Amino acid sequence: MELFFMTITTGVMVGGIYALIALGWVLIYKCSGVLNLAMGELTLIGAYASLAFYSMGIPFIPALLLSLVVGFILGILTERIFLDKLIGEPVLTVIMVTVGLSFFFKGIVELIWSTDTRVFEPPVFPLEPFRFGPIVVGQVYLWSFVAAMILLVIFVCFFKYTRWGLAMQATADDEMAALSIGISARFVYAAAWAIAFMAAGVGGTLLGNINGLNISVGYMGLLVLPAVVLGGLNSVPGAIVGGIAIGVMQNLCGAYLDQYFPGGVKEIAPFAFMAIFLLFKPYGLWGWERIERV
Amino acid sequence: MSTTFLPCGVYHENYKQDHAWWQTNFIKSKMFLLFISLFFIIPWVSDTYWLSVCNQIGYTVLGALGVQLLIGFCGQVTLGHAAFLAVGAYVSTLLVLEFPWPALLVEWGLAYPISIFISAIAAGFWCVLFGLPSARVKGFYLILTTMAAQFITVDFVITQYVSQIGGRGQAFSLPPGTIKVGPWVIDSDIKVYYMMIVLVILCVVGVVNLLRSRVGRAWVAIRDNDISAEVMGINIIKYKLLAFFVAGCIGGIAGAVWISNLSAISPEHFPWFWSLWLVGVVLIGGAGSIHGTIFGSIFMVVVMELLQMAVMPLADTYPKLLLDFLFIKESAFGLAICLFLIFEPNGLAYRWWQAKNYFNLWPFSY
Amino acid sequence: MNFKKIVFRSCVLLFSVLLVGGFASAAGAAATINVGALYDMTGATSDVGRDYALGIAEAMHYVNDTGGINGKQIKLHQFDYGYRVPEALTKYKLFQRLGCVAVLGWGTGDTEALSPTVTKDKMPYVSASYSGHLTDPKKTPYNLFFATDYSTNARAAITAWFDKKWPKHKDYGKRKPRFASSYMFASPYASAPIKAIKDQATILGFDIGPDQDVSLFAIDTKSQNLALKDFKADLVWHGNTTMSVSATLRDAYSLDLGADHIINNWGYDENLPRMAAKAAEGAMGSAICAFFGEKVPGMDKVVAYAKKYNPGIPANKRLIRTVQAWADVLILREAMIRADKAGKLDGESILKLGFETMKNFDIGLGAPPVTFTATDHRVAGAVQVYEIKDGKFQLVEKVDLKGRWPEKWANEWIGW
Repeated sequence: MELFFMTITTGVMVGGIYALIALGWVLIYKCSGVLNLAMGELTLIGAYASLAFYSMGIPFIPALLLSLVVGFILGILTERIFLDKLIGEPVLTVIMVTVGLSFFFKGIVELIWSTDTRVFEPPVFPLEPFRFGPIVVGQVYLWSFVAAMILLVIFVCFFKYTRWGLAMQATADDEMAALSIGISARFVYAAAWAIAFMAAGVGGTLLGNINGLNISVGYMGLLVLPAVVLGGLNSVPGAIVGGIAIGVMQNLCGAYLDQYFPGGVKEIAPFAFMAIFLLFKPYGLWGWERIERV
Repeated sequence: MSTTFLPCGVYHENYKQDHAWWQTNFIKSKMFLLFISLFFIIPWVSDTYWLSVCNQIGYTVLGALGVQLLIGFCGQVTLGHAAFLAVGAYVSTLLVLEFPWPALLVEWGLAYPISIFISAIAAGFWCVLFGLPSARVKGFYLILTTMAAQFITVDFVITQYVSQIGGRGQAFSLPPGTIKVGPWVIDSDIKVYYMMIVLVILCVVGVVNLLRSRVGRAWVAIRDNDISAEVMGINIIKYKLLAFFVAGCIGGIAGAVWISNLSAISPEHFPWFWSLWLVGVVLIGGAGSIHGTIFGSIFMVVVMELLQMAVMPLADTYPKLLLDFLFIKESAFGLAICLFLIFEPNGLAYRWWQAKNYFNLWPFSY
Repeated sequence: MNFKKIVFRSCVLLFSVLLVGGFASAAGAAATINVGALYDMTGATSDVGRDYALGIAEAMHYVNDTGGINGKQIKLHQFDYGYRVPEALTKYKLFQRLGCVAVLGWGTGDTEALSPTVTKDKMPYVSASYSGHLTDPKKTPYNLFFATDYSTNARAAITAWFDKKWPKHKDYGKRKPRFASSYMFASPYASAPIKAIKDQATILGFDIGPDQDVSLFAIDTKSQNLALKDFKADLVWHGNTTMSVSATLRDAYSLDLGADHIINNWGYDENLPRMAAKAAEGAMGSAICAFFGEKVPGMDKVVAYAKKYNPGIPANKRLIRTVQAWADVLILREAMIRADKAGKLDGESILKLGFETMKNFDIGLGAPPVTFTATDHRVAGAVQVYEIKDGKFQLVEKVDLKGRWPEKWANEWIGW
């Protein structure tokens, strides 16, 4: 029983980070219709940027903020250089460009920082765990979850209460109507990518704090795809719920199913689950349904 | 792209001529020259290095042919094709190494060809299994299920279960000399080349024939607008699954042929990167054209080899370059895809088609 | 439109530069002895591979500086293959084309995969993989290495814990100690000694728990550690390299696992206490030679060459991997010198007239004297087991497996 609760707790904590990254993904899809397969590498760049700043001696929170700035700039640049030219192209082309981008970013990151695990030295969060009764929770997980939740709240407030956020929502809802009011679609696209970069960057930094940062953090970023499928591609609350659900499911599978399937189902369980889920509910829990009866 | 225009002054007088594969004498002589160069000139002129590059091109063509069928002709986007190559390769390896063949078959060298055949069928069925979601989902969701196919097949089933059969360790060793086709032992690049050329030609001819037939027309209809295709009476589920089956078969053949080139096989030969590479080849060459597959393969393989050759002399002055070459390769691949899709979205085959028409219609090509 | 044209033309320019550069590169063949080397600077084991690769290069410089092979210089062809088996296979073909007489290999996966091929080609393959599966000359005659193999090291480590740590445990005498392994199931390197260590655990009387799969790249091992906690393990064997082992140790510490740890030699180096800090205290492991900078014969040359050829990396960041690299190069040098003196410098003579004539050959560098015979490629029977105290390595016990179980050593334990 103890194992069960600890797994669920850890799963919820990690899921919070996934939710943050999934939010960025949904944002890009909602605003510009681009299915972004480069999410993993966006996570990497933000994480390595904050690691670089932290290693230079800057304290953790300013380093994080600086990496947000880097993410913002990169997001706008990426959108302008690569994705602007693709407005109107078929879906596959856009997806493959994001795939190409992902390899490009991955190659650059590996060139600059190479592939071994880097740790945040001195450690940002102490190694001693918190103990709630029988449940032992690492401090990293707890603080990451808190940070992810705070950021999620900030983003949701941004969308609901600021002019720019409302502009993005309008574009996501109906692009033609938003254009006719005078909202610049290019601005919205660039903002979407910038926010996605920032969210992924924070997510990556938090993930990297857990045990070290290396290229496999990028594969964790790929896990955001089952999360958004579960929650529905266009739904922000769906992304949050999906992220947490995938985190929990992954840890549960890892803890209980590992003994039956030698070799760890932890990596592929979300994908297998997603494949099965798509057969029954292709639009996710909250996605917008396109009714096509043939 | 539509069909190429006939040159000025050429016209057909009966259906037989119209249906012909090669419609003018010029094309017939071109094909004859191609045949001669493929079978005689290239092996005679090249050293083992360029032969191995040709083998790599042949392997890529076979792999990309299945992807082209699915993406370019049937409209089903697949991002997990390397899994089916892996299935073909592993089934063939296991049959060659572990299956108790009757001594007669082994002596006559039929074990390997039969295993190619069986692995093609097996890969085809495995592909149909993962193509089943296409009956319910399309577009992006299909991409995700095929990605799932890649991860589940290679990272899970093969790495954990299949690799552990028989020996220990992740890689099956294929000592040179275990693979025989008829009386020939396949153990050098030139023999692999001949086997590869024969199979590539057979597969390309097979696929083009399929595309000229009723099945091919159904596929194109599904690609262009699947709802109208269903309205017209085409059973889209049947044809979609058939497309997956054929693509899987060709992938299986590709994998089975590839193992003759290696001294060992491991799941690392079929990473997700390879699936994306094949889709990249198809897109760079031009979706929807068989020429495109071949051009795309040649382009990608040759560019990577040139990149490597160019980096080697630089490496003496900047040794770090050689170290990081694998990364440079990855980012070059990513960048190449992005640039091609932005500037040349119809691929190399489109330029070829333009050039051919220019010469065919000359001097009236305006 | 203008921008598009500029980009297009610069791409064409770049492409033509590549073309010209590619065709203009000349392939020079040197009239010296060619030796191929593979290493992993960028792949799953790059944390230990990088230091090893530097060590190989420095050791080769030393060999050439001290007279080469009876006067002939060695040309080293070093390539990074990223721990990917396909690349290793391609590079092996390249080595054959370059006319190499021996190969300094790296990883277990590709070494074992290439083993039938190198046997057929009679190419001596001195690997950084010390897998027990490569020690039986009946199956793998051309696979060689200077160290005691993983299975022997694993048996020694568990025996050392049983001898020295278990008697101090509060439950000693009341029950059997509980043992579990954590390693990457799919990796041939990590899974190489598992059967042997489980056999040793059975001999010594442990309760064996379920294995935990930890990837070589793992940074999150919570669920595996939770499962170990559920089993209430007393001792955990770590089969991976330093990266993932330190992640596992940190998680074990933060989850309060309360077990002792024994680690395979590629997971046990100076980086471990640096990466895992407090979590690595008390971790035990086998070391097959001296750590970098220890006072043993020959270490001064290692330190000097490291400073000479890689001054950018400070001495306190170099690892035991450099020393391991030197040891492999030194035995290859000795074998080639012996074969050359006997008249022939080809693969078969390097093996038969070189390696298999070594009896208690002392490499120095804190490694045991090596002995190769035609029936046994296990170099020695005794292993030193260390533990980490205050971030430094201290000897726990030198376990003599050959002496304690002579019949099993001679008859049962070879080759796995």
